Amino acid sequence: MGDVAVKIYGLRKNFGKVQALRGIDLEIETGQIYGFLGPNGAGKTTLIRSLIGATNISGGEVSVLGLDPQKEKKKLRKQIGYMPQTPALYEDISLRDNIIFFGGAHGSRKLKKNMRGVINFVDLKERMNDPIYTFSGGMKQRASLACALVNVPRILFLDEPTSGIDPQLRETFWKHFRVMADKGITIFVSTHQMDEAMYCDKLAILHEGILLADDTPRNLLWKKEAKVRVWKNDRYVENVLENYPEKIPIALRRFGLDKSITRIEIEETSLETVILQLIEEKVEGRERSIS
Amino acid sequence: MIGTIQRALKVARRVFQQLKGDPRFLAGSIIIPLIIIYFMNIVFDALASPAFNVNVYVVPYGAFIVHFITFILTAIVLVRERTGGTLSRMFVSGYYQAEIISGYIMAYSVLATVQSLAVLLEINWLFELEYGFEKLGSIYLVIWLLSVISVAIGTLVSNFARNEGQVFPFIPLVILSVILAGIILPVEMLPEWSQGLSYTTPLFYANEIIQELILDNTLLDNLGMLGNMTLYGLVVIGLAFMTLREKD
Repeated sequence: MGDVAVKIYGLRKNFGKVQALRGIDLEIETGQIYGFLGPNGAGKTTLIRSLIGATNISGGEVSVLGLDPQKEKKKLRKQIGYMPQTPALYEDISLRDNIIFFGGAHGSRKLKKNMRGVINFVDLKERMNDPIYTFSGGMKQRASLACALVNVPRILFLDEPTSGIDPQLRETFWKHFRVMADKGITIFVSTHQMDEAMYCDKLAILHEGILLADDTPRNLLWKKEAKVRVWKNDRYVENVLENYPEKIPIALRRFGLDKSITRIEIEETSLETVILQLIEEKVEGRERSIS
Repeated sequence: MIGTIQRALKVARRVFQQLKGDPRFLAGSIIIPLIIIYFMNIVFDALASPAFNVNVYVVPYGAFIVHFITFILTAIVLVRERTGGTLSRMFVSGYYQAEIISGYIMAYSVLATVQSLAVLLEINWLFELEYGFEKLGSIYLVIWLLSVISVAIGTLVSNFARNEGQVFPFIPLVILSVILAGIILPVEMLPEWSQGLSYTTPLFYANEIIQELILDNTLLDNLGMLGNMTLYGLVVIGLAFMTLREKD
């Protein structure tokens, strides 16, 4: 296991009587892309805001890059980039001026050089001097991302970074995130897009402030049932297997692995189904404990 | 310390850029007070009589207009920062309470300076006050100070509002300050229990000084009240610093 960039133990956050986070435990390694999936109100944004010190926590311990976000935010904020869910930009001023303002708080000498790089990356070079109110929704998201990236952070918090962005650019973004992660930048990203979740090194699934699962995307899929059809000549036998990579050899042995097996089809559960199943299991568990 | 000043200047610079990018807001905040003064002139002309000394009222009313508009604009702009997420993003980007408030006060005070000057010059012209340079300059200083305090009050109020709508309950309080400040009636004519409330509005201090200046006294004769007004402003700025919430 590599260095740990984020440690969370028993994190709780209440808004009055509403429990937004109910005891989250998590460790995130340096250089990982860590994805957070969950329905609206699951606690994804609150979790991000707890990690950047933008909200008071009600209990538990949090450490980001070895710093306490509540007590050492001055040191921490020099090292993080944050892209909120809504673009949160000044609409009346240009993209260039937004980047200079949000990126300029720490007085970095490389700001202008970095700015050119991030503007090119988000593909807004032609519009850099235009006021933000003239941008489309997707362009605002890209502009917001540019502001988060300009200081080359050690850890990047992205709250649904690609909503409203076309598929081609989304793919470019994720490729760039991978390059950043390979350089040791930890990326903490919440998303609704199931296909994007597969780009993450690890995934956490949140529901009503509870962590339902925390694993690699592959493992999450494999733990659930998959339909495996083994074709022997022109007939097939279907097996429903959990953890199919380990169970397939057993199934094949049963059929006798010979030349008459012409085709093996595997119908994996989708990540969406996995999440829904995890939520259902949790609700059923809760109902059982009540009755 | 240098970093703090630099960041406050960056906030002020960004507010200027926003004002430049929003000419309607800029024009509105200068032109609307001038339109109100114009209509005020028509009303006072209709009321004019040998027993009614208009001068005692017009300058304090002008000060009130500057106070009211500056307060509303500042409060709403800052609440918009909160609801739009830019305030939170500013904090996460490395700006701090004192820097944000100082930056806002610097930038909006420049706007209020222009606004106060335009209002006073229009009053002097339309009401034919014929005040000399020194008297006009002294009155201007008081209205300017009031406008800076109004920026601070707007900032303070915005800290207690989650959306623009929550600023509106504070508006009647500002309107009430015309009565409490003694602009319509002398404070001594108000019920005794309410006279202490006059000290809670900056308009009271401004009106007290302006009335003395109209009577040909100088600012030097009113240093005590000017000091009280400045102290009032510093307390409001201090409260605005303390109450600007970063976290929920």
